[in-house]
Amino acid sequence: MSDCPNAEMRDLLPDLLHERLDASLRAAVTAHVGACEDCRAELMLLEGVQRMLTKQTPRVDVTYVVGALPLASRKHAAGQPAARVAPQRRWADWRVAAAVAVLAVGGTSAALMERSNAIVIPGDTVQVVRSNPTPEPVQATPATVAGNPTPAPERAAAAQSTAHTRIRSTDTEQVATTANDGLGVGRSIGDMSQKQLRALLDDIGSMQAVPITEPEPVSLKVEGTRSSSEPEDL
Amino acid sequence: MSDATSAGTRVGGRSDDDQRDLELIARWKSGDERAATEIVERHAQALARFAVSSGERSEVDELVQDTFVRAFHSLDGFRGDSSFRTWLFTIERRLLLDRRRAEKRRRDRTEIQEDDAATAYDALDSVVADETQQRLRDAMERLSPTQREVFGLRVGEGLSYKEIAEAVGTTEGAARVHYHNAMRAVKEFLNE
Repeated sequence: MSDCPNAEMRDLLPDLLHERLDASLRAAVTAHVGACEDCRAELMLLEGVQRMLTKQTPRVDVTYVVGALPLASRKHAAGQPAARVAPQRRWADWRVAAAVAVLAVGGTSAALMERSNAIVIPGDTVQVVRSNPTPEPVQATPATVAGNPTPAPERAAAAQSTAHTRIRSTDTEQVATTANDGLGVGRSIGDMSQKQLRALLDDIGSMQAVPITEPEPVSLKVEGTRSSSEPEDL
Repeated sequence: MSDATSAGTRVGGRSDDDQRDLELIARWKSGDERAATEIVERHAQALARFAVSSGERSEVDELVQDTFVRAFHSLDGFRGDSSFRTWLFTIERRLLLDRRRAEKRRRDRTEIQEDDAATAYDALDSVVADETQQRLRDAMERLSPTQREVFGLRVGEGLSYKEIAEAVGTTEGAARVHYHNAMRAVKEFLNE
């Protein structure tokens, strides 16, 4: 197999193969190939290579490829290339707020409980109640729900967990709710999911461990509340 | 050379294919997810062929997928100076080079014997039944990596030297020289 001396024509053979020539040039090259044995052989060689490549190439699974592509609606919606990051950031902020709420509730309630348990003088107990202007702490839950549209299951979970807290220890709940209201985090608690509320309750429960293991009789002269020495099932 | 050729009807210096690609890209950017599927359908097979012609034997699907993923993440940077397919070839070629470097490092670490590599090649070669095609394949395997790329893009995809130069990162003249050297080498091998 030798080379045709007409380099220009040889150069155009791949374009003839891929039909990338305009009509006049295609006619000229075709006429040359018809008369030139070398170019005819080279064109056959090119066809063979093209056929070989096509045959050897596996069929690409378009669905597989498309499945890995970024979503246009997320990447370019509202002209924000980084739109995908925004929800994550909001979620992260929410989690930070929840963590702060847990720490605030836990820390404050622990501090208040420590004070109320360490000093059993009724006067000090009154100080705790005075910081909470709400006479019935449990009422904070519906107020929170009304102020913030929470899904029904979450609301139910919140109500359930609030009731659960009351069963475990009325005094503790009062102190904890007082702390919440005082810090203005009650609304965040209303937004929490059941799982997070459980985690919060566990935290509070673990903080109760010290006073419970030391059953010191405490009398609280607060209207509408029971003494912490009373059994829970009464 | 490229002025003498015509890849379909040209509108404003662009072929119909180029125009269609730009429309699909615009549609995808405006949130039309189906446009992505059409873009992939239009170019996936050509990318796979280029991979095979460049000597890639395994995980061609993954390479094509990686090429599209990278392309779609960088679509804002595509200005349309070259054709979309040429731009895709450029991306795929970079990925190919990365893959080869990684493969070389892996081989250096595991110290695969030459015999093992030959066995793997033999197993793959059995897929190619036709003797003539096997000869052509052997001929291409003797080419240098750049010659293979240029030859594959010219013969397999019908790209102009200008487009090949953009995809491979060389000049138009160098692409032409690589092509003719490759053609000569293939002929010599077949004449042996």
